[in-house]
Amino acid sequence: MRKVLLSLLIASSVATSLVAQNDTKGYVVGSFESNSIVYVDDEVTQAQKPEGNFGTNNYLKADYYLGNFSAGLQLEAYQPALIGYPANLEGARLTNYYMQWSDGDFDVTAGTFYDQFGSGILFRTYEDRTLGVNSALMGARVAYQYKNIARIKALWGAPRLGMEPAKNTQVRGVDASLSLSNLLNMTDMTLALEGSLLNRFERVGATALESGAKPSTMGYSARLNFEKSGFGAKAEWVDGGEKMYNNPNPIPGVTGNDYLIKNSNAQLLELSYSGGGLGVSLSARRLEWMESKISNSSYETNNALNYLPALCAQYSYAITNLNPYIVQPGTTSGHINSGEIGGQLDVYYNFKRGTALGGKRGMKVNLNFSTYYTLKEEGSFVPKTLLWRNVNVGVEKQVSRKFKMQLLYSMQEYNHSHGVGKGTWLSNIVVADLLYKYTPTFSTRMELAYLTTFEDKKDWMSALLEVNFAPSWSLFVSDMFNHGMTKVHYYNAGFSYTEGRTRVALSYGRNRQGMVCSGGVCRLMPAYTGGNLTISTSF
Amino acid sequence: MKKILFAAFALLISSVAMAQIPSVKVEDGKGKVINTAELVDGETPMIISFWAVTCKPCIRELDAINDLYPDWIEEANFRVVAVSTDDARFTAQARSLAEGHGWSDYTLVYDKNGDFKRAMNVQFTPQVYVVDKNGKIVYSHTGYTPGGEYELFEIIKSLQ
Repeated sequence: MRKVLLSLLIASSVATSLVAQNDTKGYVVGSFESNSIVYVDDEVTQAQKPEGNFGTNNYLKADYYLGNFSAGLQLEAYQPALIGYPANLEGARLTNYYMQWSDGDFDVTAGTFYDQFGSGILFRTYEDRTLGVNSALMGARVAYQYKNIARIKALWGAPRLGMEPAKNTQVRGVDASLSLSNLLNMTDMTLALEGSLLNRFERVGATALESGAKPSTMGYSARLNFEKSGFGAKAEWVDGGEKMYNNPNPIPGVTGNDYLIKNSNAQLLELSYSGGGLGVSLSARRLEWMESKISNSSYETNNALNYLPALCAQYSYAITNLNPYIVQPGTTSGHINSGEIGGQLDVYYNFKRGTALGGKRGMKVNLNFSTYYTLKEEGSFVPKTLLWRNVNVGVEKQVSRKFKMQLLYSMQEYNHSHGVGKGTWLSNIVVADLLYKYTPTFSTRMELAYLTTFEDKKDWMSALLEVNFAPSWSLFVSDMFNHGMTKVHYYNAGFSYTEGRTRVALSYGRNRQGMVCSGGVCRLMPAYTGGNLTISTSF
Repeated sequence: MKKILFAAFALLISSVAMAQIPSVKVEDGKGKVINTAELVDGETPMIISFWAVTCKPCIRELDAINDLYPDWIEEANFRVVAVSTDDARFTAQARSLAEGHGWSDYTLVYDKNGDFKRAMNVQFTPQVYVVDKNGKIVYSHTGYTPGGEYELFEIIKSLQ
């Protein structure tokens, strides 16, 4: 399979480059990204260092387009990987390559590709370089669209785990969508019914078979999508099929109880309204035994066959991300917890120019509230132990032509045992983000933040100063200081230079141990101190 | 094997022509599938900006353009396409953010599966493109520094 695809790819790229010299319309786009860190000793933070004190992650991607045809590849090199990245990322390899043909109605893909069913609770393969995730399926996909009424796609393949497709896992799936509103010519609204089927196959060992695990499991989902005059509603119901978990308390001498077989399911409801400068979204989600792994024998962050992000405020300031919410889809390691239930309310409002609160230049406000609990028991919709709660209020105001101010208040309550106990850490955080433009292209930005709490490491404060010369140069210095307990300064300084599509950034500093999150999914990053060089370009 | 591959890759690179807006599927605010090639109308150039709910500089850049938009549109004919790279989970939030930030003059599209992002080789957001009326990419820029929007407008004016 691999060899056939590779030779096809090579043949096609040679052929197309010959054609391209005859001035047809084919073109190539691509990108390169390199992220390297030189690690140094730092006894204050007990910073970790890899062997050789150096790590570098590199990605080269290129795609070729000719009419309805496209092909592409991605090379990755970890020499070695930066610390904190999944251990299965090592060495250099041609990790992804594909060919695709598509016209208005048909899409055919062979090789590696990314896809998802619905919101991704049942199935999602994707790439996120911040997390070291690339779960692209190696296989084939066919999609067909009938007018604007129906869509169907079928796929088959082995998800990528580490540097290559998983050896023992294969998935097959079908996803379909039917637009009732287009079928019935209801022009003022959207109403669609959608559904998916997913078959996951993984060879399982003899002890797992004795416990009742099956190599082949079926999952499915049903979805509803509605929109009318700014009001939207989405509902998703997922049965993820049987999942296999380690039994934390096996009875010695008895066969067939090394694993627990659990039936997984999830429900998601999302209501939204937008219009007249007001945007509101309310979502509720329940997950039970919903963790879906590529391989049952791997514990890396990039071993996920579905997507279960934290549905809470997503923060962009370091001090607001000290203890981010980690989704609890169900676990038997350490303690038994069957899942979580909770929801989020998010409101944006724009006070227009010339109104009482808007003033001369308008004002933007954001409110966010979210709360999550463990499930009382299996199959239950009743919440039990608080896992997470946040209340956020953000205000953004262009005070004068030169001065823009953003203020954020955040209250976070975080269960540090992830539901084992009831204990929580409560923090109150304020952030001021101040941008001052001296000339249209010369500006400074300052971030001042304070976190207060009676728990964990007590109070923190942070400051950042950024000097910008648009459009190319940006310099920054920052410090985050734990003055409540450890008295450690986490300082950083650096600059970035951008010329068109090329960006070079160099920084040096001290980084605390903590979660690195991207799109609501997190990985644990050990403490490190060092210099970081990032180069990215696209062509 | 690897050598052959690299050779093939080099050949591929050598056949570079002017990049164009690729034809991939994204969704509009109502969840309707639209083809990105349809964004090209043969009449007006566009600023295409890839953003995300979690990307502060992206929102800053789109706000800055939005504040200047009423003045700019008097001088030059152009459109702004804001491509949300948020996945399905954050689409509702992205829609409310766009509403609450008053981006009513923008064409808002949602690239939930990241197909448009990959086809345009966007690695970091914000990533902004200036595209002429025929869909040819004439300029692009990674990252945002306050004031960077003036450069975009200069290019838009040169395309009139």
